[in-house]
Amino acid sequence: MRPLTIQRLFLQCAALAGILFVVVIIALKAGAVEVSLFALGRDLIRVIVHHGGEIKSDYGLIVMNIRLPRILLGIFVGASLAVAGTGFQALLRNPLADPYVLGVSNGAALGAILALLVSPHLALLPAVADLLTPLGAFLGAAATIAAVYFLGRRDGQIDSTTLLLGGVITGSFLAAIIMFLMTSETGSNLRGMAYWLMGNLSTSLQPSVYWILWIGFLLGAGAIYTTASDLNLLLSGEKEAMHLGVDLPRVRLVVYIAASLLTGLAVSVSGSIGYVGLLVPHVMRQIFGSDHRVLLPTAAFGGAIAVVIADTIGRTVVPPAELPVGAMTAFAGAPLFIYLLRRRMV
Amino acid sequence: MQLTKRSRLMDIAGMLLPAVLVVTVPAPRAWAQSLSSAATGAPVQNAATAQSFREVVDETGRTVRIPQPVMRIVSLAPSLTETIYALGLQDRLVGDTDYCDYPPEAQKKQKVGGAINPSLEEITHLRPDVVLVTRHLNTLDTVHSLDALGIPSYATDPRNVDEIGASSKRLADVLGAPEAGAAVAEDLQHRLDVLRQKIGALPPRRVLFVVWTDPLISIGKDTFIADALRRAGAVSIIDSKQDWPQVNLEEVAHLQPEVLVFADSHSETTLQHFEVLATRPAWRTLNAVRDRNFVVISEAVNRPAPRIVTAIEELARKLHPEAFVEKPASDKVSGNTISNAECLCAR
Amino acid sequence: MVARPTAMGALRLPGEASRANTELRLSVEQVSYAYSPNPTQAPLFTLEATSFQARAGEIVAILGPNASGKSTLLKLIAGTLEPLSGRVRLNGFETHTLTARTRAQRIAMVQQESQLLFPARAWEFVLQGRHPHARALRFESATDIAVARNALAQVGAAELSDRWMAELSGGEKQRVILARALAQQPLLLLLDEPTLHLDIAAQVDLLHGLRHLAVENRYTVVVVTHELNLAGEYADQVVLIQRGKCLRVGPPGVVYQRELLEQIFQTPLSVELGPSGRPRVNVVADRESR
Repeated sequence: MRPLTIQRLFLQCAALAGILFVVVIIALKAGAVEVSLFALGRDLIRVIVHHGGEIKSDYGLIVMNIRLPRILLGIFVGASLAVAGTGFQALLRNPLADPYVLGVSNGAALGAILALLVSPHLALLPAVADLLTPLGAFLGAAATIAAVYFLGRRDGQIDSTTLLLGGVITGSFLAAIIMFLMTSETGSNLRGMAYWLMGNLSTSLQPSVYWILWIGFLLGAGAIYTTASDLNLLLSGEKEAMHLGVDLPRVRLVVYIAASLLTGLAVSVSGSIGYVGLLVPHVMRQIFGSDHRVLLPTAAFGGAIAVVIADTIGRTVVPPAELPVGAMTAFAGAPLFIYLLRRRMV
Repeated sequence: MQLTKRSRLMDIAGMLLPAVLVVTVPAPRAWAQSLSSAATGAPVQNAATAQSFREVVDETGRTVRIPQPVMRIVSLAPSLTETIYALGLQDRLVGDTDYCDYPPEAQKKQKVGGAINPSLEEITHLRPDVVLVTRHLNTLDTVHSLDALGIPSYATDPRNVDEIGASSKRLADVLGAPEAGAAVAEDLQHRLDVLRQKIGALPPRRVLFVVWTDPLISIGKDTFIADALRRAGAVSIIDSKQDWPQVNLEEVAHLQPEVLVFADSHSETTLQHFEVLATRPAWRTLNAVRDRNFVVISEAVNRPAPRIVTAIEELARKLHPEAFVEKPASDKVSGNTISNAECLCAR
Repeated sequence: MVARPTAMGALRLPGEASRANTELRLSVEQVSYAYSPNPTQAPLFTLEATSFQARAGEIVAILGPNASGKSTLLKLIAGTLEPLSGRVRLNGFETHTLTARTRAQRIAMVQQESQLLFPARAWEFVLQGRHPHARALRFESATDIAVARNALAQVGAAELSDRWMAELSGGEKQRVILARALAQQPLLLLLDEPTLHLDIAAQVDLLHGLRHLAVENRYTVVVVTHELNLAGEYADQVVLIQRGKCLRVGPPGVVYQRELLEQIFQTPLSVELGPSGRPRVNVVADRESR
């Protein structure tokens, strides 16, 4: 009998954090421009100590303004998708659930497309106009969350099967609208849209957006974590969980909203990056077990590591072009999934 | 369990529907049969209808038999529509795509749908003598479908600016208007020669041609757009074999292009968009963004049609303004110092 | 008999002195239940007014043919359904009004099977029974671990502790599931047709074990079953239900009357006294010999 203790949890998270740190360093080093990390670190310290002034070197600018934000975005997106995927797999009691199964990503995509169509016609401040696409995506996601929630209720409460059905139908419906818009839009818009839908981290964002993302992540992941023990019980069955004292309606609502929020935020800024939300929970379950008190934080780290690695490979393998990170995760994810399936680990 | 009347009716309808479809669908095919029997099965000189044909090889290597004279043309690409107008053959154009918007009169023509998935029914309905397609936009699927319907299609495939002229000339030949084709090709060549005289000796400016910003997409070195840039005295900093590569912003920051080139017929949109880009820290690593070195040229640069020369000239003027200044005999403006304060975006 | 609510049903800590058998624990008072499949239809009565009482250390068997309303009665006792009329009281508290967590601290429902979505070890499974007593986000304490270990020992499954649930046999799994219920340290233990998938030896094992546990840990056990003889042998009280109506409540010797049983189960039977002094019901094979 080796029950979970807080020390073991801490150690496991620290180990993963260490791996993430190494991955980030490698990602910072990799890229079109040669970077001496030592020199960069020195410049950074100088900037912090002297409170201001900018990093003057070319490479410093590139790293700080392009590479680092992209890596941070990758960490956020990977962690959010992995946590959301874990939550949905528990909520829907379905090992094949991923963050997109309830249609949130299609809602976000539709919102982004509509924002792109609308924005030339609005006279907006440049900084605001730049936020319009992620904002539109997020509103699309929120609307979908609400719609699927109302569809997924039975007798006034969320019912897992009904939720799944409602979400899948809504997702298909939204996908049809997206297809229609894409085929009726002209040339270059179409191409850009296709890349957005494929999922990539190369959108450069305003700094304020990063704050929103991180706060959103802490809120969403934190909320799901409060239900971690309840989710453990849910894995035995819904009735059993109820008989063991789980407040099922509340848990379902919290997990649904939090996981959808995380998905919505991630998709708003990076499109639909696939396989992360589906596979990272399974891999972490193999290594660390099914206890959600460990699984949720380790999945967050695992997702971050996976996305940063995939993105780094994507942007260094065919310079000057880059492969979208969504393509990289699919490329690695599909064989991995088949492997897990064959070994009956799914 | 009792079958209600309604469910019984539905059953019957369900059984009849396939029968109805089987009976009606062959009708268009029957029509196509009559067309193809005129186009393929018959000998070259059909005694009954005195229809003559001409066998040509199009730019993708296909051999096509086109009825002569060509009186009814359907164009499946905006560039081909423009070329037809440039050749003066617009009276014979009976249909074009939803996106054929230049010249404005082209919008009044009968529409057959998009370039990628046109309506075969509409095309068939127009009874064209030939359908014009181009490899860089239309799909093989469309061509095969037209073949199956017995409708001849002629494909162009100009890969660079020179080939645009040659392709237009060849097209004019096929359509039975060789003099118009020669005139257009000559005009094109002349203007390009003039341009080369003016700026040929000047060092080309390093530019980034921006197709899309989120994510950043540019053009490959083998595209006709890249060639157009070269004729305008510019060179694309992106050296990629893909036609529409998604480019890493870091790479661009490393290469530091002098000027960003956008193609947009409505320059106000691009102006607004550029202001938005200028607020992003990532984009501000580009000198061209900080110093506002960008130009907006006509969308004609995206179409391999004769009008591309206009866009090339426009770009050349903006990138090498000193070469177009009317200089008095005594004065000489030195080649390539352009002050950064000059906003190249003004039209 | 007047039901007197006792003081707040506290957790029984090990070592607490056991009171005499007169303590009334469970009081089911005229509970009934009906539901409408859809809003336009008249409600179906699944259970009409039923009453019985049980003390600590007693085993109550709810008996009846299929679809007689037995499971409904169990759910009403468990507090997961709200009775249309009447009340279910556990140590004075109406089970339906308690929160899920408080209910789980006092009532343990033993399922027949366990649909585990992902693999788990037996000790993990049993530890889940401590959930109602743990605060959110708290990790298991030494007490929790001790209780879980003890529960496994009590059902004779201590050596199964490290095994994967999926690898256990039917009987072994049943024991672990029971251990999880015991880990809840409940006052009331509910079982819905626990003997369905077990062979005769396992059936006897289970009931025997339940009786032992009931006496030792002073549980009140309510078992839904249609096994006449097992109930007759081990139950202190039997509640006979047919088509939603409670026909008789009382000890097996009183309740097992031939005519009544034949009417309920619609088949010729004979009742005799077994070696243990408990009634034994026999099926009459030859229907003509009457």
